Amino acid sequence: MTVAATTEPLLDMRGIRKTFGNVTALAGLDVAIAPGELVTVVGPSGCGKSTLFNIVAGLDEPDDGGILRFEGRSCLASELLGRVSFMPQRDLLLPWRTVIDNAILAIEIEGMPRAEARAQALRMLPEFGLAGFENQYPHQLSGGMRQRVALMRTFMFKRDLMLLDEPFGALDALTRTMMQRWLLEVWQKHRRTILFITHDVDEAIFLGDRVLAMTARPGKIKLELPIDLPRPRRPELLTDPAFISLKRQLLDAIEEESMKSFQSADARAVSA
Amino acid sequence: MSALPVVSASPVARPATATRASGSAAAGWSKALRVVFALVAVAVAWEAAVVVFSIKPHYLPRLSLVLQAIAATPDAYVSGFLRTLAESLIGFASGALFGVGIGIVFFRVPVLRDMIFPIFIVSQTIPVIAFGALVVLWFGNTLLAKAIIAFYVTFFPVTVNTLLGLRSVDPRQEALMKSFGATRGQLMRQLQLPTALPQIFVALRLGASLSLVGAIVGEWFGDTTGLGVLLLQAMFNENAVGLWAALLMCALLGTLFYGVVAWVERRLVFWGAEQ
Repeated sequence: MTVAATTEPLLDMRGIRKTFGNVTALAGLDVAIAPGELVTVVGPSGCGKSTLFNIVAGLDEPDDGGILRFEGRSCLASELLGRVSFMPQRDLLLPWRTVIDNAILAIEIEGMPRAEARAQALRMLPEFGLAGFENQYPHQLSGGMRQRVALMRTFMFKRDLMLLDEPFGALDALTRTMMQRWLLEVWQKHRRTILFITHDVDEAIFLGDRVLAMTARPGKIKLELPIDLPRPRRPELLTDPAFISLKRQLLDAIEEESMKSFQSADARAVSA
Repeated sequence: MSALPVVSASPVARPATATRASGSAAAGWSKALRVVFALVAVAVAWEAAVVVFSIKPHYLPRLSLVLQAIAATPDAYVSGFLRTLAESLIGFASGALFGVGIGIVFFRVPVLRDMIFPIFIVSQTIPVIAFGALVVLWFGNTLLAKAIIAFYVTFFPVTVNTLLGLRSVDPRQEALMKSFGATRGQLMRQLQLPTALPQIFVALRLGASLSLVGAIVGEWFGDTTGLGVLLLQAMFNENAVGLWAALLMCALLGTLFYGVVAWVERRLVFWGAEQ
């Protein structure tokens, strides 16, 4: 799967660097995502995944010197705000809005009349496993359902690039695997470009066309692993030898980095 | 989407909304019944204590006498009740509106907040009695004067809590709304104001009680109708029964006022203090 090499990438980041005071979160980060691709990013905790998320979401500006291109044009990160539909770790549903009104929040803000937006959302509810729940409030839903409402909101805000930050991180293992398979179905149907950030190696391989493994801080891409596993992906895949060997490679890369950040933390503790 | 792993992944069964609604209604009735029972118990205890311990009417008259006094001259109590209600209601409503409005302005324009907020604080350190004298001097013994005193004690807590509530918005939530292209107005209406609502209602409940105090204190500077006037008259005449009658009317008004605010709060802030 060398899509990224043959077509113009939708998002292209080169030599991205981001420092906060004297902490360098990212240094020399290169990421390119082709249209329609599902790219997953894994890395040890504190590797700058959130910083990457914030830059692509348009919430944080990288330091000068790097290249950031979106749809073939170079731009500031702040210009990405509103052009990328992102979903943060927490579902951030508004507790005073029903399921359907939470789902239409983005398009309603964009200016679509509420009635029209609701009608559109109503048609999408079954696909998101929320049929019949349109008038429930978030506090009446389970964690998995809340995440689906948040995902539906992200899908309804039609943008070329979707950015998902550990959307299933807070769910129990069973619900999470259900959600992963479901996400793949929805993705295959709608064919959006997705950048998916996670700390779960299984999830990264199971979902991705490519997995990017990040180094310890300062974060950059340590390993780029194309996942040539057939789609649609079945749960049996998790025990497939090909899957296991990919997982081995990724785990080795990540473990090495985890050790590094662990040791540097130790060193800091000793010197302090 | 034929496989639909999703349906089986819904751990929440379809909630039985109807049964729950009727269940909560029944719970509400039994709760109301308990309150009524407690009131009756207090009334009986009052009446009995006066008789059993032969308490002098000067200290505590029998409840039945107090109620008889109210029933004998209901007009005075009803008009006093309505007058004080009007004063505190006008003061409360304008104080609440002003408080929320100025809270939003302070939130939007920090420079203004830094300039004016200290003045507000100083204004609130003036005892309401002293302020009341000034207001009566300016506006005379009018309904407006009392409403202004009620306003004065209401607006400040509402301003403070509005500001507090608006600042409690999750920055991630704000970032998300901005990514949808929300304007400042949309941000305020769709996110910030609803988020601040629980905090605002804390102040409104406080304001409901305070505005009543403000109105009654205002009446003490001289007026002809109102619960404060009835209190003062009873005190000067050493009329214990009249005093207790006025007290009961004040309690009734205060409870009613607080109850309405709390009811509106439950309707508006139905999601509770989640998130």
